[in-house]
Amino acid sequence: MNVCVFIPTAAEPWPENATLYQPLKEDQILLSDCASSLAVQAYLRMCGLPVQVVCRANAEYMSPSGKIPFIHVGNQVVSELGPIVQFTKAKGHSLSDGLDDVQRAEMKAYMELVNNMLLTAELFIQWCDDATAAEISRPRYSSPYSWPLNNILAYQKQWEVRRKMNAIGWGGKTLEQVYEDVSQCCQALSQRLGTQPYFFSKQPTELDALVFGHLFTIITTRLTSGELAERIKGFSNLLSFCRRIEQTYFEDKTKNTKLSKFV
Amino acid sequence: SVTSLDSIPMHGRDLTVHPDDLMEPPEQVNDSKQEILENKDVVVQHVNIQGLGRTKEDLLGYEISDVFHSKNLIDVMRKAHIARQRLLRLGIFKQVEVLIDTSEGTDALPNGLDVTFEVTEVKRLTGSYNTMVGNNEGSMVLGLKLPNTFGRAEKLTFQFSYGTKETSYGLSFFKPQPGNFERNLTLNLYKVTGQFPWSSLKETDKGMSAELNFPLGVTNHTLKWEGVWRELGCLARSASFAVREESGHSLKSALSHTVSIDSRNSAIFPSRGALLQINQELAGYTGGDASFLKEDFELQVNRRLFWDSVLSASLWGGMLYPIGGQSSSIADRFYLGGPTSVRGFGMYSIGPQSEGDYLGGEAYWAGGLHLYTPLPFRPGRGGFGDLFRTHFFLNAGNLCNLNYGDGPQAHLQKLAECIRWSYGAGIVLRLGNIARLELNYCVPMGVQSGDRCTGTRAGHYNSKLL
Repeated sequence: MNVCVFIPTAAEPWPENATLYQPLKEDQILLSDCASSLAVQAYLRMCGLPVQVVCRANAEYMSPSGKIPFIHVGNQVVSELGPIVQFTKAKGHSLSDGLDDVQRAEMKAYMELVNNMLLTAELFIQWCDDATAAEISRPRYSSPYSWPLNNILAYQKQWEVRRKMNAIGWGGKTLEQVYEDVSQCCQALSQRLGTQPYFFSKQPTELDALVFGHLFTIITTRLTSGELAERIKGFSNLLSFCRRIEQTYFEDKTKNTKLSKFV
Repeated sequence: SVTSLDSIPMHGRDLTVHPDDLMEPPEQVNDSKQEILENKDVVVQHVNIQGLGRTKEDLLGYEISDVFHSKNLIDVMRKAHIARQRLLRLGIFKQVEVLIDTSEGTDALPNGLDVTFEVTEVKRLTGSYNTMVGNNEGSMVLGLKLPNTFGRAEKLTFQFSYGTKETSYGLSFFKPQPGNFERNLTLNLYKVTGQFPWSSLKETDKGMSAELNFPLGVTNHTLKWEGVWRELGCLARSASFAVREESGHSLKSALSHTVSIDSRNSAIFPSRGALLQINQELAGYTGGDASFLKEDFELQVNRRLFWDSVLSASLWGGMLYPIGGQSSSIADRFYLGGPTSVRGFGMYSIGPQSEGDYLGGEAYWAGGLHLYTPLPFRPGRGGFGDLFRTHFFLNAGNLCNLNYGDGPQAHLQKLAECIRWSYGAGIVLRLGNIARLELNYCVPMGVQSGDRCTGTRAGHYNSKLL
């Protein structure tokens, strides 16, 4: 008779010096990257995992997938919220363990919605709207570099994003249509949230982190037009949702971006 | 420095056969006749060039004017030979023949001579295909050349190189000063992609440069401005974080100056003479992100000893000084190790490293002492055996980063500690004047933790094709 004994190897504990990398906060980072970074920071705080935020001008190029943010934990480098959630799960930390299969599928669907709608809308407004691109996105994106490299990189990025927008069918949309799409997305989120504190009753999940990251960043960022922020502020339960997460998980952060300043 | 990061050499090895190799020296005239000819006064009345197509005549006047000053026949022959060499070195003629004849015509003097150079111009467009092998990598090079583009020995070249570690293409325009061929201007436009597995790094350079060459006494000077857009990235997912931190784009705009004195009789296998080359580069004062001052030098001395053996000593070193508080980039630092510097160690695998990726250093020195002797057995003088030489060597070097706050005393001390060195012997095969293949048995010493040696500590064989 054979006896097979399986001894699970203990996962490495979360180190003290885990670091999250993003572009320069003051001069360089754009709305979409800031939202993604804040989502990951919120998620890690909800898990109780300490992480230090480091700003680097070349964060986008350091990232293994080319996307912001990425975390450096031990000697591993993981980028984007999805893989980071998997990574923390492998280390034994998870926010969605308490969900059943139906809820988990629903959570994934809503996360897809946020990525396909909110994130794409942010990218569209940043790079496909000529006014925003010229006044905000290109100057900020190219700020760490000297002439003529700054212009080359900024236009290269703009061309790349516009090409992607055309590929997914957003190329022909107007700004108004995009604002409408954002409103509809927020409508769906607002309905799902209802009067609950978090999307799945009492405990936050990665969906809460993702929604918070995007909505909070949109509301607190000054763009050429305040239209987008206004659309979101129309949903009061989403506003109080953002405030709640900010107060619960980010009370130690600098007061400058406190929600109350922008509402 | 990492040689493959330089712009592609537009005036690199020329693998064609030079007409001079085939030319016979002027005939020896026997003594009595020589006396007669020497004593006979001549006057060179006309110097003509026949066979010109697109070449502008004013360019050639400088090269042949000296022939007019000949006093006697031997003088004419000698000066004509020199003028022929000068015409050939312009690179615009396939062939130059000299005809010396007595003057004819109404104004002909009794002792007058006419010298005629019959030239064949090179074609307007030539293509070439070469393979280059060196330092464990190989590449094929396709070239398109428009020699003598506008008639004054200008040259427009397009080169495409595809290799195991590097892909590059470039456009180059060369313009010499009429009458002063050694003073010339070269404009380059290039894109080079390189892979550096010892650092887990890949680099793409897109740039342009303008280079002015001129001799000054016995020295040769080069002044160059270069603007490069560099993109660094990790070669593999497993690259160390230190290399990952260097990823991204940067712009380097640098002025450099090189002075060199070369009295060696060959670049590949010198048996006498010396070389001194000093190079400095200042980046950041003409724009760009990178800001540093870089100095490096190379010294080589060769001396023939007893029995056809040659002793060769070389020393090279350099220092990189970042300006403005920012740290240096991995693309600007020096690298050490391998068959061209310290044998016995892996290619560029000495010095500061992180998780197995070599990061380069801001200061280095390297030295070598070589003794080349003919093989113990001599299969036949001038025959096949002449291509082989035995080779005993001693290499040493060090690569590190300096703390610029400390004084020069501390710097020298840092460079003197932890010296890596190696000794050994081997056989060197000479392939014409263009390549050499070495097979060495080598013992690395002074190995520091982090360095990579090739083979076991006891010794190894390495081969190097230059």
